[in-house]
Amino acid sequence: MRKKAIVFDIQRASLHDGPGIRTTIFLKGCPLDCLWCHNPESLGKKRQLSFNIEKCTNCGDCAKVCENEVHSFINGKHLINYNACDFSGKCIDACNFNALKIIGSEMSVDELMLEIMSDLDYYATSGGGMTLSGGEPLSQFSFSMELLKQCKEMGIHTCVETSGFVSIKHFKEILGYLDMLLFDYKVTGASAHKKFTGVSNETILKNLDAAYLYGVPIILRCPVIPGINDSEIHFNAIAALDKKYPNLHSIEILPYHTMGNSKRISIGVEETLEHLKTVPPEITANWIELLRSMGCNKAKMG
Amino acid sequence: MQKIDDFSMELNFTEAYRKNINEHIAIREAICHQAQFPAVLSEIQDNDRLAGRTFWGWIGFSPHNAPGGAAYGYFCHEQKIIEAIERGNIPIEQRDGVHEMLHFWKKETSKAKVEAAFTEKMLPVLFRDEIVSLPYNFKPMIAQPIYRMAGVFVNYEKLLRLGIPGLKSEITTYRDNSKASGGDYQLYEGMLMALDVFIDSCHHYEKQAIEKANSCQDPKRAKELLQLANVLKNNAQSKPQSFYEALQLSWLYTLICGSLELGRVDVYLGDFYVNDIDNGIITEEEALSLMHSYWRLINELFRDVDGRVIIGGRGRRNEESADRFALLVLETMRTYGRAILPQTTLRFYEGMNPQLMEKSITLIGDGHTFPLLYNDDVLVPGVAAAHDVPLEDAEQYMPLGCGEIVIDHAGFGTPSGSLNVLKALDVTLRNGVDPISGKQLGLQTGHLKDFKTFDEFFDAFKKQLAFFIEILADHEELEYVESAKQAPYLYLSMLYDDCIARGKAIFDGGIKYLGGSLESFGSVNTADSLTAIKKMVFDQKLISAEQLIAALDNNFVGYEKEHKLLKESPKYGNDDNYADDIMVQLHDFMCNNMRDQRDRTNLDWYLNVLINNKQNTILGRWVGASADGRKAGREMANANTPAGGNDKKGITALLNSLVKPSHKIHAGTVQNMRFGRDFFNNDRPKFEFLLNTYFKKGGAQAMITVINRGDLENALVEPEKHHDLFVRIGGFSSRYIDLPRDVQLEILSRVTY
Ligand code: SF4
Ligand code: SF4
Repeated sequence: MRKKAIVFDIQRASLHDGPGIRTTIFLKGCPLDCLWCHNPESLGKKRQLSFNIEKCTNCGDCAKVCENEVHSFINGKHLINYNACDFSGKCIDACNFNALKIIGSEMSVDELMLEIMSDLDYYATSGGGMTLSGGEPLSQFSFSMELLKQCKEMGIHTCVETSGFVSIKHFKEILGYLDMLLFDYKVTGASAHKKFTGVSNETILKNLDAAYLYGVPIILRCPVIPGINDSEIHFNAIAALDKKYPNLHSIEILPYHTMGNSKRISIGVEETLEHLKTVPPEITANWIELLRSMGCNKAKMG
Repeated sequence: MQKIDDFSMELNFTEAYRKNINEHIAIREAICHQAQFPAVLSEIQDNDRLAGRTFWGWIGFSPHNAPGGAAYGYFCHEQKIIEAIERGNIPIEQRDGVHEMLHFWKKETSKAKVEAAFTEKMLPVLFRDEIVSLPYNFKPMIAQPIYRMAGVFVNYEKLLRLGIPGLKSEITTYRDNSKASGGDYQLYEGMLMALDVFIDSCHHYEKQAIEKANSCQDPKRAKELLQLANVLKNNAQSKPQSFYEALQLSWLYTLICGSLELGRVDVYLGDFYVNDIDNGIITEEEALSLMHSYWRLINELFRDVDGRVIIGGRGRRNEESADRFALLVLETMRTYGRAILPQTTLRFYEGMNPQLMEKSITLIGDGHTFPLLYNDDVLVPGVAAAHDVPLEDAEQYMPLGCGEIVIDHAGFGTPSGSLNVLKALDVTLRNGVDPISGKQLGLQTGHLKDFKTFDEFFDAFKKQLAFFIEILADHEELEYVESAKQAPYLYLSMLYDDCIARGKAIFDGGIKYLGGSLESFGSVNTADSLTAIKKMVFDQKLISAEQLIAALDNNFVGYEKEHKLLKESPKYGNDDNYADDIMVQLHDFMCNNMRDQRDRTNLDWYLNVLINNKQNTILGRWVGASADGRKAGREMANANTPAGGNDKKGITALLNSLVKPSHKIHAGTVQNMRFGRDFFNNDRPKFEFLLNTYFKKGGAQAMITVINRGDLENALVEPEKHHDLFVRIGGFSSRYIDLPRDVQLEILSRVTY
């Protein structure tokens, strides 16, 4: 198969993206724009230049090789015009201090399969397999489909971690190749959903319904961000979903962490959530308590 | 406080040796033991439940347990004596004697005897008398001789079954028979004298315990001391009847025979323990209290690279009792708290009582470095093949100190040399010349630029390695030959198969198997360097031979581009065949070449070991920048662990790489691996799957540590060496060094140890 996708990370021996020991493939590109995203470098569909200011010595070597004048130095400050970069990689090779890198590399399904297959023994003993994540992996539908198919052919357990924001037609097609879904539930209410993630949740909820009816085991993953969705309404909605879908595999609560912030700066995106702080464990424990009191016993910390 | 500068013991010892210099070596050694014990046995301390502490003299006799830097046979710690002379605190009447004694031992120590016997071939390669104590160490040599008889695992089972009197009567029978038939009965005579020294030592401590009890204010402690006195008295006159007596006898014997290993405690103590518990002779609490004392003594008296307590595994005749005792050992570890010793070692196999592994993993998860895990399903057949012994002997394999594998009371294999593999590569790049001294240290095999292909270069490197390996193998053999000439090592000979029956001393044809091992250091950096050379200089030709040498000579300063290319070349530990294949080729060559030395020498085996100790750091100081991107003087990677956290692809990729080199051709490797704490808490079942899969895939060993505060702190200082650290935050796993600084600090602040 010739199909290629931009992969921004491969994590082997991953323990938290489904059952057993897994290899998680992160595809770049996401149609949502969640304010709290901890992987802002995964949003763009294209590759991306990333700059680590802590490592830069201002030596200027990058500027010498760049044909697009991406790098400039004003008053001893290294400025980067991210939009002009065409990912030639020349400055990456030129920088001796590893201050620059390009996020994302183009990979074929075959190349990924080779890497995935290396840990077959570990999947077999632990009941693990491959998890496709992102970004939103289903945005690259045909690539994802092909990868899932090949995994199934090799008898590898498959998971997809998705926002659910994908056409209903595509979504239904992919269900047959899934052993498990990690499905995000982000914000309650269509308009609030649009406000904080950039898209409405209408399709998302339909897809959730479709997956449930199809019978794919589902782990509902709920990022909780103080001030945005740590409201009683939202927790109630989670509890309601639990009632509506009694056979949900489990519900994972993922508390907000600031780690995405400094990553934004390194790819030239403004910091958006300066005021937010990492949530201390006492508070997250309260959330679980609250959910329990609402009759949702499946909720646990992710 | 240092030992006061009273040299009466050393002077007596020297006198004993000298007077008997022409005596039979067994008699001479026994008389020397009389001068040494109980003189070097130090006092029972306040909370000791067991008697037996040593304060070795600066001169004495011991196979291994003696002052650091001197521990081999008849030893003399010159530096310490010279320091004392310079302090001027030696009693006047001793001064001439001390000077004279120092002079006398220059030619008489066991080490001097070996050095005097060096062959023509050894002379230019192995250094003599240039050794300075750790951590300064050595001139920049590639092959280092090591002087000590390490890895003593005596037959504790026999010792405890017969007791001292039983052993005496067995030896007496042999002596009488030998005498009657006109044989060399003196060896037996020496053994009997040595056993009397042991009995005197028991009485010495018995007396001391009684005295201490009499002057003790605390009635509970006084009772304990009297109990101890009674145990010692029984040890002197009968075979052990209780767990307490068995533990005391084995401990004192370990000390006096000069061993630093404890061996299969679960087998030799298990029956005593189970009998005493089941018959109400001792309580669990009391047993634990004795074990704590044992643990404390080991910690205070042994060095951190020694002290193997081995539990579990195949080939235990009393498996059920042994398992129960093994659980006591693990409970001792838990209640004693994290400690650097003993190096508790869990041998396991499929079908063994699962409690042993479960408890062990819990301990590791709590931050204990031990137990070290040894997979019998791989190692028993592995040892049978590598050491070329029958399976039933292989079942009795014992990893000593740092991890060299020998056979319990039947096969000796002290590591008598170390090979700085990376330094050998250093000189191979430069036609055999050492860039530090400018001397021709290796063979003249040409300069890097002279080679047309990588294979030609690799062959030249192999030639260099083979040259050093031969010399070190010869040296191992020579060490045994000279040891045998000088002393029968009485305490070992009487408890090693088949010395008594053959009437021969351990190193003089008495022991069943006499093998050896060679500690190789820097293999992983070497393999990675070869990979980088292959890729950059020969395959892709991005760096010329001249450029590479210049970059290395300049420690990459001014050669940042080259440095970057070299660092980014494939590295072992990532399940990448380009790099792993070269590691396997190097491993195969070294192991097989060493293994073939048995055909050239009289050794039953001579095998490679890849282990952890400080040598990777110390020897690294003599190696310039290397082609894997390592800078001049920096440490080399431990054992066959990926260099400097170079395993970037996660634990499964690391484990896949680790199982590639064969385990049927060496005498021990240590596989270091680090796991985040979450593996031991919520994800413990996954951790067990991971470990089981690794072991099923042929993983021989695992030394597991939990990522701790120190690791994270080091990663902040030197991120490029810690690609392998993964942490879990906010529902995601991330590579620690890739996280923003503030997040790194936040995680660090949450880690408690
Ligand atoms: S080459 Fe690297 S270190 Fe030099 S200015 Fe560019 S980014 Fe900074
Ligand atoms: S990757 Fe190429 S275009 Fe982009 S900044 Fe670097 S040199 Fe310029």
